[in-house]
Amino acid sequence: MKKNAGLNKRVVLGLAFVVLLGFPLVASNRYQVHVVNMAGLYILMSLGLNLAMGYCGQINLALGAFWGVGAYTAALLNTRLGMPIWINMPVAMVLTGIVGALVALPMLKVKSHYLALVTIGLGETINIILVNETGLTGGPLGISGIQMPSLFGIPIDGDERFYYLVLVCVVIGFLAARQMMKHRIGRSFIAIRDNDVAAKAMGVNTAKYQIMANSIAAVYCGVAGVLYAHMTTYISPDIFEFKSALFVLTLTLIGGMGSLAGSVVGGLGLPIIQELLRAIGNWQLVGFGLAIMLVVLFMPGGVMGLTRRLEEAGGIRWPWARKRIHEKPELEGPNVSRP
Amino acid sequence: MDNVSLFLQTLVGGIGIGSLYALVALGYSMIYRSMGLVNFAHGSIYMIGTYLGIIWYRGMVMGLQVPYGVAFVIGILLTAGLGLILERIFRPLANMDLMLMLLGTIGLGYVLDNLAVIVWGAEGFAVKSPLPETPIMIGGVALLPQMLLLISVSAVLMIGLNVFLAKAKIGKAMRAAAQDRETASAMGIPVNRTNALTFAIGAGLAAAAGILAAPIVYVNPAMGSAVGLKGFAAFILGGAGSIPGAIAGGLTFGVLEAISAGFISSAYTKGIAFVIMIVVLMFRPGGIVGEVTVDKV
Repeated sequence: MKKNAGLNKRVVLGLAFVVLLGFPLVASNRYQVHVVNMAGLYILMSLGLNLAMGYCGQINLALGAFWGVGAYTAALLNTRLGMPIWINMPVAMVLTGIVGALVALPMLKVKSHYLALVTIGLGETINIILVNETGLTGGPLGISGIQMPSLFGIPIDGDERFYYLVLVCVVIGFLAARQMMKHRIGRSFIAIRDNDVAAKAMGVNTAKYQIMANSIAAVYCGVAGVLYAHMTTYISPDIFEFKSALFVLTLTLIGGMGSLAGSVVGGLGLPIIQELLRAIGNWQLVGFGLAIMLVVLFMPGGVMGLTRRLEEAGGIRWPWARKRIHEKPELEGPNVSRP
Repeated sequence: MDNVSLFLQTLVGGIGIGSLYALVALGYSMIYRSMGLVNFAHGSIYMIGTYLGIIWYRGMVMGLQVPYGVAFVIGILLTAGLGLILERIFRPLANMDLMLMLLGTIGLGYVLDNLAVIVWGAEGFAVKSPLPETPIMIGGVALLPQMLLLISVSAVLMIGLNVFLAKAKIGKAMRAAAQDRETASAMGIPVNRTNALTFAIGAGLAAAAGILAAPIVYVNPAMGSAVGLKGFAAFILGGAGSIPGAIAGGLTFGVLEAISAGFISSAYTKGIAFVIMIVVLMFRPGGIVGEVTVDKV
């Protein structure tokens, strides 16, 4: 049984590898690849959110702004100083990490809906700065003419080639997140999420890890921002706002909060479903809203919660199943016993 | 115009827009108190409420044009009815994790916003005030009649709500149900029904705010998100679940916004208001009126 599962896992991983590598070759048009690239960026942001919110319990609705800080850093370094993406990426990571840590300071004092509001306010404030500092950011018009990157003289132009860059970043981001969660950091995050007072009593430096969680989330969004700026070659402040943070939150919850695989499922699934339904116009968004409500009311653990529930109920063993010690128990409906 | 009257002018404008926020914040507060639900779709309910009233005033339903006052009442009643239905949908959400609550009500907001686009179009329209458009001058301060109407009717509604909650039997039942669900239902209070009524009142107040403000702002399906966010800010600023807190929070937020727009920087209005709010929350994490709680395991 166990051996069989291991074999299955390898087969699934192998198939996934082939599909991922071959996707741009079989895609019927460039736009499809573009949608998947955007999904990749959402996966990155969702991973960041999952670390901060799913594992460390820190609600964060300022993600759109972190995404913007990353994108603007890359755009400014590239258009003003001609820096390539390979320099912009680490610079933006450091910068968004610092911004994320600074933003986390006022977040230490407040909790639950108060925390939600503080993060919304901080995100909006950063967005307002992007809109109004016209001299630096180009104001509402944004910045255009950002160059696409090249590697060893090979230009990474067009969505098909950019796809592989996004893929590499997503894979690295996923593995890094998984590694962090196996480490002391992950255990501290989970202790804080489950009960911050108890964690503190046990000697976990809660403030340090809360700041770290937000900083890491910001870095993930910063990476997505740099990729976005170099991919679309044009950025404007209107997408780096609350709405984007909500979209990332939605896809993370639908995928499964507290499960890294959930980030991948939601991040890939939701943008693609949205694209498929684009033809029916505004009814698509009505359906989107209804779908969210149905998921929340009937499937509160998201897709990953559902697979887990099937696993427990029917004894189904998924090929990717493993011991899940670090994942959050599914969010339950009525939780009378919650303190 | 001297500085004093300029300040007064700004203050009145702030109180006007602040009463709008306060009415919206009251909706958040009523629903939170009774159901423990943070309703992020409240901005959308405000937008729908505005439409449900204004369509009668503008003769958009079968060419039937009614006076502003009648449209105001129809709009509030229809939105309150919508609130009754929505309460039924969200009853199970009230006991869930904050994140799920957030997401479920946001989902509802998506549905309402886009249904509005489908039914009434995305463009929106300006609404003519039923009162004269020329400002009245009082002691060097120019006041728009519609703004005065907004302030006075909001004040009446807020006082009325407080009296209702304090004196009326149903109002008392609503407060009891908000305080302790189990005990209230043991005392024979139909908790689900009082909750539904609370939700309906919250929705009706949002509609009232929207219809009163419609001639000042521009009516369109996207109007709910900004007001919803600021109403939420006012609700939190005042202290989640507190009725006087919601009113204080709304007025504070409106005045802060107007003063920062008038005297500091109009470009950074929203930003300054948010920054002040964050600072307030850092020193009083439970809001202005909210109590200070101690963390327990």
